[in-house]
Amino acid sequence: MSTISKLLCAAASTAMLAASPSLADTSDARIALSNNYAGNSWRQAMLETWDDVTGAAVEAGTVAAADAFTTSENQATEQAAQIQNMILQGYDAIVVNAASPTALNGAVKEACDAGIIVVSFDGIVTEPCAWRIAVDFKQMGRDQVEYLATRYPDGGNLLEIRGLAGVFVDDEISAGIHEAVEGSNFTIVGSVHGDWAQDVAQKAVAGILPSLPELTAVVTQGGDGFGAAQAIAATDRDMPTIVMGNRQDELAWWAEQKAANGYETTSLSVAPGMSTLAFWVAQQILDGAEVPKELSVPFLTIQQDGLDEALANTPEGSVANVSYSLDDAMAAIEAAR
Amino acid sequence: MSQTTTNTSSHAMSLRDLVQKPWIWAYLAAAAAFGATMIISGGQGAGSLFYAALTFAAFSAIVGVGQMFVITLGPGNVDLSIPASMTLAATLALKFMDSNPSLIVPGLLVAIGVGIGCGLFNFALILLLRIPPIIATLSSSFLFQSLAIWSNRGIRVKPPEPLADFTTGGVFFLPNVALVAIFIAIVAWVVLERAIVGRWVLSIGQNLRAAQLSGVPVNLVRFGVYVTSAVLAGITGFLLANFSGGANLNMGTEYMLMSIAVVVIGGSSIAGGNSNVPGIWGAALFMFLIVSMLNSYGLGAGVRLILTGLIIVTVVAFASKKGYAA
Repeated sequence: MSTISKLLCAAASTAMLAASPSLADTSDARIALSNNYAGNSWRQAMLETWDDVTGAAVEAGTVAAADAFTTSENQATEQAAQIQNMILQGYDAIVVNAASPTALNGAVKEACDAGIIVVSFDGIVTEPCAWRIAVDFKQMGRDQVEYLATRYPDGGNLLEIRGLAGVFVDDEISAGIHEAVEGSNFTIVGSVHGDWAQDVAQKAVAGILPSLPELTAVVTQGGDGFGAAQAIAATDRDMPTIVMGNRQDELAWWAEQKAANGYETTSLSVAPGMSTLAFWVAQQILDGAEVPKELSVPFLTIQQDGLDEALANTPEGSVANVSYSLDDAMAAIEAAR
Repeated sequence: MSQTTTNTSSHAMSLRDLVQKPWIWAYLAAAAAFGATMIISGGQGAGSLFYAALTFAAFSAIVGVGQMFVITLGPGNVDLSIPASMTLAATLALKFMDSNPSLIVPGLLVAIGVGIGCGLFNFALILLLRIPPIIATLSSSFLFQSLAIWSNRGIRVKPPEPLADFTTGGVFFLPNVALVAIFIAIVAWVVLERAIVGRWVLSIGQNLRAAQLSGVPVNLVRFGVYVTSAVLAGITGFLLANFSGGANLNMGTEYMLMSIAVVVIGGSSIAGGNSNVPGIWGAALFMFLIVSMLNSYGLGAGVRLILTGLIIVTVVAFASKKGYAA
């Protein structure tokens, strides 16, 4: 065989592989996780669950590698560069939790053009060639107010704790809350930004409390409920119903109050293990499955009667979590069809 | 009234002296923000707002004191590793104490030890490797933050009960953390204004070459200043983590800009060589009260940030007016 025909042969076989992924077996496939931030317990749980689930998948030979990479500064430009490196390193799929829904589109398009599967989750990207595993954050906001409406049919005063200003998730949850408040007897009497962190929320709530009337409830976004409780407990106010966000310290505080005075509330947030759902979806796409571009993942709700069990299953100082299996991914794909 | 303005009576003199103090503007701004919040709340909750302001200003004031000494050293000196040092000290100390009340004192020593370690590392980068302080402290902060992540994976360990009670409690109308911060500020004031070491720091900031020639042990002073800054960051991290029920990986984030802001708003010169301690407390109170005020008025995040920026510029302009006039 001449060199030229060898090259042609190689090119043809590569082309065939690329053109007909349904033949592919994913045991040679390498999947990368591009993550923009690691500085809180939710992200740490997300990375740990990724390691657990993908480590087992690599061991079992389902995929060849599933490496996680986190940028240090939570900047879209930095993450775009990271994705470009992944393209050069020849990954077959990139699972991404994006710093911005739009700023990474250029890098994502480059990856798609290079034949790489891109699956975004939590922080999704709008680039049409990528898959999106989205959470209905608006519904998360609406659900809180609907729960409170069942508790307080006559309505009352709400304090809203928002997340990080300028982030899409914050706008969505808040929009959902305001939408549901419109049609209810509740009034939002104050709003502060807690940046999804207990200490920031504690500070912001302590600062606005003196100027507020009596509160019926506090609507939150997760990671801020315990801080709000601490700030309110430091005053002589009655404890309002604070909606929690599945963090272990929030659940522990809730359980303590429940034991002491029958405190009732609800808790809802996204399970950090959704990174593993994204992993399995990427694996399925590589395996040749027909997967719709838009998938959704339900958020994790903890009710009064499920509190003790959820608390027992959550590691101290972490977040209530679910890790997803291949079957879960198939079910999610099926549901989206 | 006309009498006091025409006559150079001692009362008028002291008032004029007071207005000329660069730190007075921070207190005036804090008082204005407090008053404006009270207008919207109809005078309710003045006590609890004051108490909350003292509590949260305490954390900014302690890191601010450390940052002030660093900034005083002159152009290019700033400690950007404060947030990471706070996080690392708090994470390791709380993990070490493991909610055990008998380990409170060793836990505090762990936090201080981590602070010393961070300071030594920063100074080693600056002196031995001759890296500019901004770059040195920024890069070491990545290292400290990674160590904090690696050591505990973001797990929040509860503080020992007595320590949590101490940091959230208070005596009469003063929160305990504020008492600690006031004590630290007084010590810093004595060091800066009354001790030879303070004069050395100021002289280095005013003119490094002149300080060297007049026999100031420049490197020893710089060493002490960077270690002090990191130790104060460690103590703040320790107090904050015990106050808020555990160490968070992102607990230090807002103290990066906060520590610099309280120094500048307090009337210290960002170019170094001219600093004051009282202004740090005024600015720390102001930084808390301004956010409370804008939150109470129910303004959106965008408007809030714009107004915060504008007000800070105004206060700094007033505080530094004396410098331009002279």
